[in-house]
Amino acid sequence: MHAYANPTRFLAIARPLTPWLLGAGLLLVLAGAWAGLTQVPGDYKQGETARILYIHVPAAWLGMGGWTSLALAGLIQLVWRHPLSGIAARAIAVPGMLFTALCLATGSIWGKPTWGTWWEWDGRMTSMLVLLFLYAGFIALTNGDAGGGGGQRQGGSLSRGAAIYALVGAINIPIINRSVVWWNSLHQGPSITLRGSSIDNALLWPLGLTLLGFSLLFGAIVLMRMRRIIADNRVSARLRRLADDEGN
Amino acid sequence: MTGVISGSGQWAYVAAAYGITVLLTGAVLWSSWRAMVSAERRSDALRKDRR
Repeated sequence: MHAYANPTRFLAIARPLTPWLLGAGLLLVLAGAWAGLTQVPGDYKQGETARILYIHVPAAWLGMGGWTSLALAGLIQLVWRHPLSGIAARAIAVPGMLFTALCLATGSIWGKPTWGTWWEWDGRMTSMLVLLFLYAGFIALTNGDAGGGGGQRQGGSLSRGAAIYALVGAINIPIINRSVVWWNSLHQGPSITLRGSSIDNALLWPLGLTLLGFSLLFGAIVLMRMRRIIADNRVSARLRRLADDEGN
Repeated sequence: MTGVISGSGQWAYVAAAYGITVLLTGAVLWSSWRAMVSAERRSDALRKDRR
């Protein structure tokens, strides 16, 4: 892992990988959405609105998975000071926030025809909203000072404060996961666990396609944003060297 | 029973959910791609200038 902490080695892998992730992700999402909208029957209780699960569930998993990865990157930055871990954390924040927002929006759209309300302040929805605010706080902290102060250091890595914020925010992930078990909720209990799924296979299979597809798109966005941060860092470093040369 | 709102009215909610997903995901993909391409172009141009 240490070998790939070098930006040049990382770019040698990331450059060819980005278009593949993007292309495969788009194809799988399109195939999953087509299957979910046209090839499976409506749910016997929820009717056609159950088709929203093919985007709502991947969005929820990627919102939570995004923060878990962001916290891991923060931990690696704090302990091993890998040059790429802080860059990865910053690159994960925007797609993580995107999928958390999509989870909330599609859940709300699902809620209106199913429960009769757009929003309910119950454990699952409130903890997911907290995750959205955590992402917004992290982005503000790390982008607050483009000159390298605030939550970011020179070279794109995280400040100690931003890395600790990422770790502390991870407390919310098990709360989101267990919220439907701990508290009474309009939201249904866990449908997919390690022991299996309560959703019939006739409805479940397009979810595999959209889950894998959105995960690949998430990976592509992270790679694109990491490449941008690395390129910006190189420009800044070269401009500093040019200014130093002219000064001497 | 098919929820509070039943029948063909449900498709409007499905379309809204998929539409917002396409719009937001597309916007983030497009802006990330554009930012990456222009940053790498700037970086490459500066490296060539130095040579």
